[in-house]
Amino acid sequence: MNPSGRRKRMVWRVLCGLFVVLSVITFTPWVIPAHTIEPRLWGVPYTLWTGFIIATIFVFMTYLGALFFPGSEKEDPS
Amino acid sequence: MKTWLLILFPVYLTLLIFFAFWSKKQNKSSSDFILGGSPLGLFVGFMTVAATIFSTFTLMGLPDFFRLHGIGAWIFVGVSDGAMVFGILWFAFHLRKKVALKGFNGMGGLLKSCYGTSWAGYIYFAGIFLFLIPYVAIQIRGISIFLEAAFPAALPSWGWAILIVALMLFYSETGGLKAIIYADVLQGTILLIAVWIIAATCMKSFGSISDMFVQVERMEPRLLSTPGPQGLFSVQFLIATFVVIQFYPSTQPQIVIRIAIMKDLKAAQRMAVALGGFMLLIFIPTIAIGLYGAVHYSDLSTADFLVQALLFDQLGWVAAVTIIGLIAAALSTSDSQIFALGTELRSLLMHRQKHVMLLTRLAIAFFAIASLVFSIVSSDQLVLLARVSFAGTALLGPMVMLAILTTGPPGREILVATAIAIVLFTMSLAGSIPEFIMGLRLDLLLMLTLSLVGVVSRWFR
Repeated sequence: MNPSGRRKRMVWRVLCGLFVVLSVITFTPWVIPAHTIEPRLWGVPYTLWTGFIIATIFVFMTYLGALFFPGSEKEDPS
Repeated sequence: MKTWLLILFPVYLTLLIFFAFWSKKQNKSSSDFILGGSPLGLFVGFMTVAATIFSTFTLMGLPDFFRLHGIGAWIFVGVSDGAMVFGILWFAFHLRKKVALKGFNGMGGLLKSCYGTSWAGYIYFAGIFLFLIPYVAIQIRGISIFLEAAFPAALPSWGWAILIVALMLFYSETGGLKAIIYADVLQGTILLIAVWIIAATCMKSFGSISDMFVQVERMEPRLLSTPGPQGLFSVQFLIATFVVIQFYPSTQPQIVIRIAIMKDLKAAQRMAVALGGFMLLIFIPTIAIGLYGAVHYSDLSTADFLVQALLFDQLGWVAAVTIIGLIAAALSTSDSQIFALGTELRSLLMHRQKHVMLLTRLAIAFFAIASLVFSIVSSDQLVLLARVSFAGTALLGPMVMLAILTTGPPGREILVATAIAIVLFTMSLAGSIPEFIMGLRLDLLLMLTLSLVGVVSRWFR
């Protein structure tokens, strides 16, 4: 595998790792503490602003993933 | 509003009719009719997937969900869908790799070919039929109860439902998938514009974002945290929903078909990125609409709240665009799903081309009528019904994953396990078996069991 391919694979694996970590964290009291509104960010309740950040990170990871996905065009059927 | 509607609705209808007949002219074979003829580029691919996913559920169900259950709904949809688009990158690659080897006429046909038995296709079809029909039905239900509340003197809700289904059948049967895809582009655009204009009006009434949350807190502070006033958003419920939504792109035939017919892998993956951005753009305004309802219309029924917030509190032209946006949203999801059911049936049939086409067209009409009947008898809890539908189709996920990831024929034990899981889940919906087993939600338990069977099955092959 060439250096560019190795780099892509590494970035992709890091993104997959981050995906798992973020998914798990979402369902802990760090993000969804029961009956907790504070601390707010610009008036937005805690679970909502942390949820925004997580959803935005997932979308940004998708962007990076599309750039660094290790499967090559040659393996693509079309 | 009525004047604006009389101007704008004919324009929308004319465009739909144009797409239907233009596509009919372009379709040269049954394959063109079913699979759209040419591969999808990034923009059209993205818009059709977006319009198919974000439906009446988004413009009506989500605001009502925020109104009744509070901001935990963002974890329910925003976070789960954000994760889902990342999964599409990986799924698109493996699906297209498998399609290159086996060909593609539909997921049922692909599964049949991968597993080497027709039962794989039949189980898949049974699963999507059982759980997609209710989802289509809630789209029709949503828009018809809304129109009935908006125009009480015109038609009862079932009358609106019949009109919607007739319109959907007309352009699906005339132009095939190509007409649906181009109509989706139009409908996705209308939906995005409508939801932002309404949200802007709602925000204006609050003054600022922080004022909005202050007013909501005065009304019902439990709306600003999980599990919400009715305790719906428990950790287990949110985890089960997250898992179910991750399987959405791989188990819903209307999405699988679109990923399979995109121009190339790059386009499919860029579509996932665009979908993620669109998801954020379309979900964020529904929070403002929902919380506006929590403050002003907390005691109203779903239909009455929606009519007030989406129509009567808006300017005339905005209300007209909203009605068209809602009809468009309901149509773009329903037609894609009904058509996908027809495509799946076709991929399992082994008759001559002429007979297959006739059967497919008849099947599409049958599925549309089944959805219409279900829509007349279903409840108004749109989001919860949608979740049941997602959970049901998600049970097919491990079976689909195993097929596309395994080089040779996968183990058939997953087929048996999936069939049993579908029966058990259906029984729990009917109340024959409990929704919780040993403190665990049945849908989560079934997903975990099927995933385990899939992993073990792959390990020993």
